[in-house]
Amino acid sequence: MSHGRDFVNGLWNENPVFRLVLGMCPTLAVTNAGINGLAMGLATSFVLIFSEIIISLAKKIIPSKVRIPSYIIVIATFVTIADYVLKAFFPDIAEVLGLFIPLIVVNCLILGRSEAFASKQPVSNSIMDAFGMGLGFTWALTFLGIIREVIGMGTFFGLSIPFFTTWWKPWTIMVLPAGAFLTLGILLALMNHLTREK
Amino acid sequence: MEFITDLLLIFVASVLVNNFVLSRFLGICPFLGVSKQVETAFSMGMATTFVMALTAMSAYLIQNFILEPLNLIFLQYVAFILVIASLVQLVEMFVKKASPVLYKALGIFLPLITTNCAILGLALLIPMKGYGFIQSTIFGIGAGVGFTLAIVLMAGIRETLQFADVPEAVKGVPIALIIAGLMAMAFMGFSGLIPM
Amino acid sequence: MKETPRLIIVLTAIAIISGLVLAFTYNVTIEKIQQNAELKKQQAIAEVLPGLESYELQQKGDLKYYQGYDANGLPIGVAVEANGGGFQGEIKMMIGFNTAEKKINSIMVLSHTETPGLGARITEDGFKSNYNNKPFGDYTVVKRPVNNDLEVEAIAGATISSAAVTTIVENTLKDLQTAFGGEL
Repeated sequence: MSHGRDFVNGLWNENPVFRLVLGMCPTLAVTNAGINGLAMGLATSFVLIFSEIIISLAKKIIPSKVRIPSYIIVIATFVTIADYVLKAFFPDIAEVLGLFIPLIVVNCLILGRSEAFASKQPVSNSIMDAFGMGLGFTWALTFLGIIREVIGMGTFFGLSIPFFTTWWKPWTIMVLPAGAFLTLGILLALMNHLTREK
Repeated sequence: MEFITDLLLIFVASVLVNNFVLSRFLGICPFLGVSKQVETAFSMGMATTFVMALTAMSAYLIQNFILEPLNLIFLQYVAFILVIASLVQLVEMFVKKASPVLYKALGIFLPLITTNCAILGLALLIPMKGYGFIQSTIFGIGAGVGFTLAIVLMAGIRETLQFADVPEAVKGVPIALIIAGLMAMAFMGFSGLIPM
Repeated sequence: MKETPRLIIVLTAIAIISGLVLAFTYNVTIEKIQQNAELKKQQAIAEVLPGLESYELQQKGDLKYYQGYDANGLPIGVAVEANGGGFQGEIKMMIGFNTAEKKINSIMVLSHTETPGLGARITEDGFKSNYNNKPFGDYTVVKRPVNNDLEVEAIAGATISSAAVTTIVENTLKDLQTAFGGEL
């Protein structure tokens, strides 16, 4: 497989959120605003990229019997690093994402890609896969966040939109848990519908 | 008496008001994946509840007797996830030996529980809440019961849904998410029930 | 069986490397994290005690509070960090008390998980100003404009959140009065 294809794969064809339906918990929980979705996507990408690199490099050293515990330790280590760095330099974002930063550890996306891709492929391909998947996850979360924020609060990345913000009566339900489920459900249905037509 | 009231409040709050699945967004993967039949959903819920109760106790002990006294808070995530993974493995081995019947019912779900974020979420919430040992255990059981309630309700609805004429594009995960959204709205009615 | 030692060695090695990396990260970032928390607290105290120049943590009985001083080193009031249950989760606040005039200066919500657009409006000035310069006493939450100093006007559609904040303020006030004995 070419590097280019490994990268593009995660953006659309095997988009982690809309296609593989992986990592649902953060997808639903933190996407009540565009900025939160973006931050969560970037934090997850960071962990994904470094975990895939390390696991791909170490795939010959790690005996297959203990590979899952080894992967979990590697992932948990990078998650802790991301958590401390966010708390130190972006305290506001760290507070909003809260519990969902440590929960990146059990995001099935990361363990899934480590097991299915990085443990079998060379480092360069793994990096491309991680970037593609990370970017795919990030845009999906940001997109969801923007939709929910615009409808639920009437703002775009915390900024008011000319004419729209004053005129729109926000649907509070969209930034509540129920809105997360409904938005994603409708988006997935739309996705299914569009791809089936082709 | 006040202690018991307190425990009861923690239990009801974790089952209904702050339901792990519907208001905290924890454990969505099994909630969507293993909710096609009521029977399997119930088994999954029971297995999860059992592991959650054990996790709650271990998380409390590890946090208060290892991580904090030794000043190793930065190892919290690594320690918790490893303990959960080992715990699940142990439960699996134990159940296999002790009750083959139970193993047959729960067996396939046990490995899935490790990556259920509700379990790690529970472990991480316990130090944040500042609960004692018994409170933590009750919180763990309550979280498990809440998870079971959500997943069994979902499975019940999806079983009935098989006879409904759902548009092709909405079948599967999309309709499950929309149902979950409606359930989340219903559960919002429990907010404010208990002063937290 | 030759495999077993290898498994143990590899896992141990990974765990040790992980521990070292994390210890390093922790040491590099912890100072900044504590600074951030300290800064946030300072800002909150300055917000509820206008004219604040310096403060110090003091304790009377069970109550820990921040005694604030102005530029001349004279006491201007105390700030107390308080928390309690809201509609969906915990509400954390900083409350400033003017001990000399037996009034509440103002309140600041540090963190909460109330419903966005409804209960979350407890952070807005429109609601917080309810408590500005309130004399000490028992407060009543009302669903109409206030008639006297001891009433608090609830946010429309978020009576429980409004009442929760009021309860936290009242409880903190009682703790403060108990701690200071007959002085307040």
